[in-house]
Amino acid sequence: MSISRRVFVKSGGLALVSFGLDPLFLARAAFASSRPLPPSRALSRPILVCLFQRGAVDGLNMIVPHGDPLYYSERPRIAVPRSDVVDLDGYFGLHPRLAALKPLWDEKSLTALHAVGSPDATRSHFDAQDYMESGTPGVKATSDGWLNRYCQHDREHENTPFRAVAFGPQLPRILAGSAPSLAIEDLQAFGMRGPQPAGRDRLTRAFEELYAGSATGLLSTSSREAFEAVQTLKRLDPAQYRPADGVDYPRGRLGKALLEIAQLIKADVGLQVAFADATGWDTHVNQGASEGQLAARLDELGLALAAFARDLGARMRDVVVCTMSEFGRTVRENGNSGTDHGHATAMLVLGGPVNGGNMLGKWPGLDPAQRFEGRDVAVTTDFRDLFAELVSRHLGARDLGAIFPGFTADQARFPGVIRA
Amino acid sequence: MKPYVVAYLGALAAVPAGLRCQQPGLTSQDSAFQALNRLAYGPRPGEVTRVAAAGVMQWIDRQLSPDRIDDDVLAQRERQFTLLDYDRGDLAAMYAEAQRERRDRKQSAAQQDTTPTPTQRKGRRLAGEFADLAVVRAVLSERQLYEVMVDFWFNHFNVYLAKGADRFLTPDYVEHTIRPHAMGKFADLLIATAKSPAMLFYLDNWESVAPGATPPAATRMGVRPFFGRRPLLFAPPGDPARMDSLRPRAAARQAKGLNENYARELLELHTLGVDGGYTQQDVIAVARIFTGWSIRRPQRGGDFEFHDWAHDRGEKQVLGVTFPEGHGMDEGIRLLKMLASHPATMHHVSRQLCQRFVNDDPPDGCVDDAVAAWKRSDGDIREVLRAIFHGPDFWAPENVRAKVKSPLEFVASAARAVGAEPDTSPRLAQVVARLGEPLYLHVAPDGYPEREDAWVNSGALLDRMNAAVALAAGKLPGLTVNLDAFPSGLDTEQLIGAVDAQILGGKMTENSKRVVRNQLSDIGDPVQARALAVGLAIGGPEFQRQ
Repeated sequence: MSISRRVFVKSGGLALVSFGLDPLFLARAAFASSRPLPPSRALSRPILVCLFQRGAVDGLNMIVPHGDPLYYSERPRIAVPRSDVVDLDGYFGLHPRLAALKPLWDEKSLTALHAVGSPDATRSHFDAQDYMESGTPGVKATSDGWLNRYCQHDREHENTPFRAVAFGPQLPRILAGSAPSLAIEDLQAFGMRGPQPAGRDRLTRAFEELYAGSATGLLSTSSREAFEAVQTLKRLDPAQYRPADGVDYPRGRLGKALLEIAQLIKADVGLQVAFADATGWDTHVNQGASEGQLAARLDELGLALAAFARDLGARMRDVVVCTMSEFGRTVRENGNSGTDHGHATAMLVLGGPVNGGNMLGKWPGLDPAQRFEGRDVAVTTDFRDLFAELVSRHLGARDLGAIFPGFTADQARFPGVIRA
Repeated sequence: MKPYVVAYLGALAAVPAGLRCQQPGLTSQDSAFQALNRLAYGPRPGEVTRVAAAGVMQWIDRQLSPDRIDDDVLAQRERQFTLLDYDRGDLAAMYAEAQRERRDRKQSAAQQDTTPTPTQRKGRRLAGEFADLAVVRAVLSERQLYEVMVDFWFNHFNVYLAKGADRFLTPDYVEHTIRPHAMGKFADLLIATAKSPAMLFYLDNWESVAPGATPPAATRMGVRPFFGRRPLLFAPPGDPARMDSLRPRAAARQAKGLNENYARELLELHTLGVDGGYTQQDVIAVARIFTGWSIRRPQRGGDFEFHDWAHDRGEKQVLGVTFPEGHGMDEGIRLLKMLASHPATMHHVSRQLCQRFVNDDPPDGCVDDAVAAWKRSDGDIREVLRAIFHGPDFWAPENVRAKVKSPLEFVASAARAVGAEPDTSPRLAQVVARLGEPLYLHVAPDGYPEREDAWVNSGALLDRMNAAVALAAGKLPGLTVNLDAFPSGLDTEQLIGAVDAQILGGKMTENSKRVVRNQLSDIGDPVQARALAVGLAIGGPEFQRQ
């Protein structure tokens, strides 16, 4: 599937502009030119996929510090036994139900960071999610999200209708803002429905004219994006999509979202920023250890990410996937064999450009004296340092002050998730 | 006296109020349209004219006293909803029965059988009825403002239908916690939610106990497991958050502890608001005050029960107020009353009401008027609403048609615009879900946001257009439409005029008229032409606003 000519021209120009400024892009351009590729391949450009684990994932049971006896003494009922942990570096290991990700670690395209979080101390899901998506912890008045601000301020990229896509029924806060972005629940059902293609086209045209001439405000911009996307998808025919041989996405919303993201990436429709979320991480009661409630959620996450990476194959060289969650959970298990709202959590970053195969970030330890307010894993990496590294070193953003207002990004504080 | 004379006198009587409240820019038709869009789920055919003639302020006053409005049509329709014949104990028993059938099937040769068991089928049908009932009430009730407020309060005191026992506790929560208090005193509503099994379960307070407290032996014996891994009833297909947080047997064996969940949301969402000036220490103290607020035999759909053994009887400080030691359940009631009349609560809740009725970014003056009425009336919801509707901001041109309809508002208003008669099948509720806000399934306690950017996006807009076309063509199973307001003898211009007047409140743009005119030009069949004109109007941009 080829991309429209105006995008091709625009992106061709971009390569020249970026040449001296963005070493990563240069590296990719050199790689692309070193072997013959179809024209659409030559257009490849960095793609960022963000996965939000809503409800505050228990980072300590996702990336288990099995080398720390305190982890076991604080969690007599819910700790993952050392024999079950998929060891990563002798001290940390994956939850057994994330084992599908181990090959990515071994081929150095997966890293994990512990102790990432917000400088704001809130333990409210809503506030903390809001801050992580607005990118302005402690400031509620921010009306747009940081991914959208990235799209606003990096104008070198063409605003194709699929530049920024959220998979789900509603546009999330992280993509709210003036740059066009799309919320898609199901690629196949996107557009006017009806038995006859001619009838569908006619209705599409009629509504397009109604909205073009009479809509105001958000109704106007959203409808314009909708009709552009309908045109592109008509060419794409998503019903025909089959994942790469042998790749099986897990059933459920997350697997479906990642499958559709992979489909858009392969179709070269200009996708640059994708977002999906998964719920069910708020494990106050009976969260389980190697098996149980949290294990089931991690199973879906691990299988979905592994399927995504295999499905994209060589295309993963342009793709970075980052998980995030509003905060972590208490070090000590609570009276209901669960964990309560904590502070820092763990995040996974994977993809071709990722500096994988080792743990990143600074581990503060579980000693009560090192904890935040005596109970939670302390934050040693401000989530903005991680996100700023992703948008600058992966996507090539330069104006970080505009994307994270009130925050002075400093390369020295970047956790180093993108390979230099 | 003839009816129209009465209507005339009514209109005259309403004039002073109208003059006081309405802006010069609004005709009486405009005012009626505004009132019907905000206090109701949109006008039915002919209703704008009727309300304008009878007097808008009079209509508003009537809506503020729902008990005095006859609602026979809805009452008749409600009798078709068998869900209302079941109390939460019945539903809990059905849930347990479905679990048992599933276990039996697992152990028998029929384990490959994936067809739903009879109990499962019944449960699914009732779950469908539950969501549909909300839409049917929104469409058919004469007590429109009351139904709007039921939706508002459920959203304010949100619970999540797919969490464990809330699958069978939520219908009772709507019928007996939210609906009886939707137009009463805020404090009564707050206390009712605090004591409701649905909320106690949703925010985990039912198992929050004073640290170190253990249940008497008899209580432990009575606990049985009753939740399997997979939800069978009342669970949306494919819902990701299949979180059963109820494992009573395991929990009862273990020492329980304090759970802060309800305490935090009570302060942050239900009362003070996140900027209401409380601290983490306050949250902990509030959680201690509510230790022991629990549910009697939740697996059987039991009622609220206070567990003295679980209550922390020590002294607590909340917002600088001392709750002395030695108290039981009474200190929880005292706290709720204190919170209900706290200035931060008045402001927080009044602001949300103004957001719902006036503007996504409510003007300060409107909020101030509402707070003043709250103080005067000791938190009488009707008086707070009256202050909002009588204030200048409600009628100000910049606030008229300034809001975009939420998914429920869109679906209900579309159904009303075409005179639809929905049956008990969940078809309309499914449309609401597809538009992004499935009923009773917002997982977080903050409820659905009251801002347009939460639901206006390209995908949802296309879904609105699709729903509009299907509705107007009579292709949505589960409801019949009545397009008598657009008789088939009309020519194209008359049809467009009728659609503009009846559906769009006279606000159809010249562009929209031109587009519809073009679309109708090659359609000879009057029935098809009418369906297309109505579908385009309902799916078009003017109808999305209120």
